[in-house]
Amino acid sequence: MAQRAVWLISHEPGAPLGGTVRFSRRYPTVEKRAKVFNGASYVPIPEDGPFMKALLFELRLLDDDKDFIESRDSCSHINKTSVYGLLIGGGELWPVVAFLKNTMIYACVPLVEQTLSPHPPLISISGISQGFELLFGIQDFLYLGQKNDTEINTKLNQLPDLLLQACPFGTLLDANLQNSLDSINFASVTHPQKQPAWKVGTYKGKPQVSISITEKVKSMQYDKQDIADTWQVVGAVTCKCDLEGIMPNVTISLSLPTNGSPLQDILVHPCVTSLDSAILTSSSIDAMDDSAFSGPYKFPFTPPLESFNLCYYTSQVPVPPILGFYQMKEEEIKVKITVNLKLHESVKNNFEFCEAHIPFYNRGPITHVESKVSFGQLEVFREKSLLIWIIGQKFPKSMEISLSGTVTFGAKSHEKQPFDEICIGGTAYLKLHFKILDYTLTGCYADQHSVQVFASGKPKISTYRKLISSDYYIWNSKAPAPVVTYGSLLLVRCHN
Amino acid sequence: MGPRGRETWAQRLGAFRASPSAFMAGPEGEDLGCDLLSELRSEKLSEQTKVSLLALSLEYPAQLWPDTAAAEAAATSLLDTLVLLPPRPSALRRPLLLAATTALAAGDALGPTSAASLRLLPLLLGLASGSDLGRGFGPASEQRSLQATACECLRELESCKPGLLGGRLGLLRGLLGQEGPVQPLSLLLALALRNALVIQARARAGLQGLLMAGDAPTVGIPWNWALAEEGAAHLQPQAPGWPATEVQECGLAVLEPSPEEARELRAAVAQLLDTSYLLTPVAQAQLLWLLGWALRGLRGQPPVLFKPQLVRLLGTAQLTLLHAILALKAAFGEALFTAQDEALLLRRLTLAAQHPALPLSAHLFYLHCLLSFPENWPLGPTGEEAAPLLLGPRLCRGLLPSLLHNPMALLARLHLLCLLCADDEEKEEKAQDWSPQHYLEELLAGLRQRAALDGGPRALATLCFQASYLVVRCLAMQPAVLTPLTRGLAQLYQSRPALAPHFVDLLDRVGPELGEPLRVVLRQEVVARPGKDEALCWHLQILAKVADGNAQSATLGFLRAAAARCTDWDLQQALLQVCRALLRAGVGKGLADLLQALARQLEDPDGRDRARLYYILLAHLAGPKLGVALGPSLAAPAASSLVAENQGFAAALMVQEAPAPIRLSVGPRRAEGPVPVLQLQVEVLEPVYSLELRFRVEGQLYAPLEAVHVPCLYPGRPCRPLLLPLQPRRPAPTHLDVRALYTTPSGLTRHAHLPPLLVTFADLFLPFPQSPEGDKQGFFEELWDSCLPKGAESSLWCPLGPRGLEALVSHHLEPFVVVAQPPTSYHVAIHLPPNSRLLLRLEAAQVDGVPVALRTDDWAVLPLAGDYLRGLSAAV
Repeated sequence: MAQRAVWLISHEPGAPLGGTVRFSRRYPTVEKRAKVFNGASYVPIPEDGPFMKALLFELRLLDDDKDFIESRDSCSHINKTSVYGLLIGGGELWPVVAFLKNTMIYACVPLVEQTLSPHPPLISISGISQGFELLFGIQDFLYLGQKNDTEINTKLNQLPDLLLQACPFGTLLDANLQNSLDSINFASVTHPQKQPAWKVGTYKGKPQVSISITEKVKSMQYDKQDIADTWQVVGAVTCKCDLEGIMPNVTISLSLPTNGSPLQDILVHPCVTSLDSAILTSSSIDAMDDSAFSGPYKFPFTPPLESFNLCYYTSQVPVPPILGFYQMKEEEIKVKITVNLKLHESVKNNFEFCEAHIPFYNRGPITHVESKVSFGQLEVFREKSLLIWIIGQKFPKSMEISLSGTVTFGAKSHEKQPFDEICIGGTAYLKLHFKILDYTLTGCYADQHSVQVFASGKPKISTYRKLISSDYYIWNSKAPAPVVTYGSLLLVRCHN
Repeated sequence: MGPRGRETWAQRLGAFRASPSAFMAGPEGEDLGCDLLSELRSEKLSEQTKVSLLALSLEYPAQLWPDTAAAEAAATSLLDTLVLLPPRPSALRRPLLLAATTALAAGDALGPTSAASLRLLPLLLGLASGSDLGRGFGPASEQRSLQATACECLRELESCKPGLLGGRLGLLRGLLGQEGPVQPLSLLLALALRNALVIQARARAGLQGLLMAGDAPTVGIPWNWALAEEGAAHLQPQAPGWPATEVQECGLAVLEPSPEEARELRAAVAQLLDTSYLLTPVAQAQLLWLLGWALRGLRGQPPVLFKPQLVRLLGTAQLTLLHAILALKAAFGEALFTAQDEALLLRRLTLAAQHPALPLSAHLFYLHCLLSFPENWPLGPTGEEAAPLLLGPRLCRGLLPSLLHNPMALLARLHLLCLLCADDEEKEEKAQDWSPQHYLEELLAGLRQRAALDGGPRALATLCFQASYLVVRCLAMQPAVLTPLTRGLAQLYQSRPALAPHFVDLLDRVGPELGEPLRVVLRQEVVARPGKDEALCWHLQILAKVADGNAQSATLGFLRAAAARCTDWDLQQALLQVCRALLRAGVGKGLADLLQALARQLEDPDGRDRARLYYILLAHLAGPKLGVALGPSLAAPAASSLVAENQGFAAALMVQEAPAPIRLSVGPRRAEGPVPVLQLQVEVLEPVYSLELRFRVEGQLYAPLEAVHVPCLYPGRPCRPLLLPLQPRRPAPTHLDVRALYTTPSGLTRHAHLPPLLVTFADLFLPFPQSPEGDKQGFFEELWDSCLPKGAESSLWCPLGPRGLEALVSHHLEPFVVVAQPPTSYHVAIHLPPNSRLLLRLEAAQVDGVPVALRTDDWAVLPLAGDYLRGLSAAV
């Protein structure tokens, strides 16, 4: 369950070493146990420098992939999880849990309480999931809320003290590092009995509950006979409960209108105390039919102090909010494009913004564009080989808009133009970016009146909703599109 | 070193962290540990700096205090510092406790003889129990946090020395029921309970009322080390509760608590589980792992206690919680999870493995869990990744790989797809609407298309080959998959020959199912080219891998065309590498011409030398030998190809000494012919070819001996005796030094030193060649007389055995008898090469012996003859 060491390494492409160790922490008492448990297969934790070098190499983050290197490029060197073996000093350091996110590499080495040769299956090592949770916790702490470098540096400087609280001996006590920060600050508060470990202190002030539902819609549209379009909604319900008392109980119900799309694949926050079996079993794996559970979805819980994600869900709405096609034909150095977008009548026609990005990969810079848009305006980013069609806040009454034009490209100069491994030849896409406030595609909402709070005082309850696009692609129907379509083909055929 | 300011310490710590080993080897290294301890009491340093010093000691105690004594002293000093802190709030108490704990545990100092341990343990237990330890331990506001810290310290000590708290289980239970902080106490109790159960089970002891000790006084009574001493022997490699089959090994099944103990145990576990919702998710997971392990296989402890927790936990997205449930599943199987529960768990896992709200790393881990899912009734062999029975194609729908996936996700999903394809093949009625094979084919085609992108990143190519390898490994028996794969790979090579190293690597790792057809198509692909294009070096690299005895003329034609273009060293070496492969494959005709041409025409002298070497090898070594000599050795390319080659030859062509598989002995004597001849008998333990036996005589006694050759010898198959003619220069016995040179079945030449062979005096005996038919007596008398006066004369008594003189003569002297009057009188004439004679008269034999008169023309023979005769009587 324990970790032998933890690292944060910033990945700096182009720098001489490829990165810098921003933080590291070793746990010698755990190391002591590793030596005994691992026996002859024990490999000690290396110093930061050699560790970083080996990890960057294994993660392919050093800029030297010119030559084939067997230890990295061999076909039998297959990694199917974020757990690696690093060759260091003649031995293999394993298991190294590591991933890259926002140019930061998060890594740790869990203790394995048995011999390492042969490698035991990861599922049998409790420290693996604990290690992931620790790294996710650090990642959340660093990046939730703020993004600029100064703030991140400040947070990095707080890490040693935080881990002294949250993980003093290598066994993680709380993955929520913000809690640990608060507990340092709250140190003088006397805790009554049965205080949950995930809640430092208590709230004092005006009671209020805020519930915000954010739905992201993804889509893959092809406009082809033999390939079905796909789309999916992913929802997240975020809560912040400012309530007095040690263990206030809250129940939130999510409801759907009569024609709403059932919520599926529901994952809840650990503070949820019980779950209806209908919620537990409603899954996108099953074929949809009228008998699908359509709510209300009740979530009784004891809230932590901070804002948290009460639940996530997915849903299969009957139609995508915007249906379109994209046709692109190559004619020597020019391409002719035609785009048509249609907003579904059931969707709220009031966007915060709506844009279609049309990138051109593996070509030279744009030298000339002739275009005609039925609505909105077209912006040209020549060097980036990108067109952005700004649609604005509303679709016109007809709900249908179109763009046609010819784009001419200059000579391809290698380094500068965007490279893409999918968009080869005619394979191309446009990507929609939009956001609609006070709206969900599933129709899902949290009724203020259905929120039950068992705590002193009547809280103010506020609810928010929004729909945003995410990975909303429309592929060129005049050329092959990526094989991902097959997965959806399967999906559709099974439904019929 | 004097006191240091904050700045100096910051620098010093920075330098240390940059490279601890370099710092400790430097001039400042030695004093760091001592300085750190003394500075903690300095009034000049801020608390913040002191905390950073303690933080360092938490990470690097082994560097600061490298031996047990130093660790003990450090812990003592840290405890002293703690006691001396003024009673106001301080940020140092917690890190001091952690540091003292770390120093003792990491420094191997924890134990009944360590004074620091005996101070620290009661202190920690006191703090953990919330006892009032006096004002030295800070204001009341700090007590709660110190109580939790003390629990953490005790938990770490218990982890390092299982059983340490075995005697305090009752106390811990009591504390948990009171006001103590729930999480630290729960985890501490669960760990101590688990360890106590494991140790007691191993020692075949019961719980001995450990759980019911109640609120024993914490201070003042000596610490009970008995269980820890027992446990220390068990901190050894072991499988932590996984898989369930190892229960027996852990010996847990033998622990059968009494009904009362079982009740107490159940109550303790229920108490822990009931308050588990107060723990953070990661701590809940730890608790479940510990309790699962503790109760696994324990009789009379139904795991239903866990059931109420499961429903709550199954709904979460928390990696640790789902993982802990899987651990319980592995530990208890059907006892805790019915078939329906198993199906639900699988569905949740499948869902989690693709849920868009979860990060990629979590998806990948869940996918791994799916393929290693602890089924109630697994069908396949354990330890191999397999799709669980209940995970049909329908559930896997959302888990299919696509080109848009990250490489790891793609490979993980591809593995699942391959397993589905394998299942699909086994099923008789296949799904009509969807074929996993077809999907797989499309995906691989897409991967190859990306890998073929000129100038694309190597990662794309690597991914394509990894996917191909994975498919071959899972579906090696399915020609329907392998045929298009082979064709696709050939096309990939056609469009991007620069991927040659990947192809070579793939050929090295796949079995013949793909390897054989792929070799053929790649060879065809390469030799069909004019040998003049840009990618010549890649073609040569491929050809060196795939060239064999087939399509010789096309291959040689390609090489001849290529030779003209091989202007630089690299290309020439690559070309010669192909020649080498052909040499090994036994291609002779045509290759000799090519090599000769290369030996003349290549620009680089190194290349010419190597070509000549190959030519010579080809001309002089037989096929099998050549194969061995050029065996797969070629180490990393050296500065000269000859040097590199040599490394291979050293093993293959040089004669290595080895213990002989040959036994050599001297057979019966064969007194005939002009010279004495030894009959050698050979036995071998393994087949031996081209055996050459070389003999050498010490000094100049004999003329040099000819070597004996045998083409082949097999164990157990008799071999005709080998004849070794001796040419003595003096008639004297000697030792022959024997060496054997032979070839092993694997074609290597070996050399061995055999035990020396003894040539006895009698081995040299020859009859007189010109013994006349007529007057034998006269002939003998003539010889007898001729010995003197130059020679010597003697007589001796030769004792006879029960069978008398006749037997003695017929056994030993038969060939040399000139005149015989059996049974009492014999005249014997022996020719001793080169030109000595030995004459014996054995006359008037009596019952127990015979007088022997003896003459020789060589006085040096006399003692030998005497010894021989005396030896005879002993032998008969």
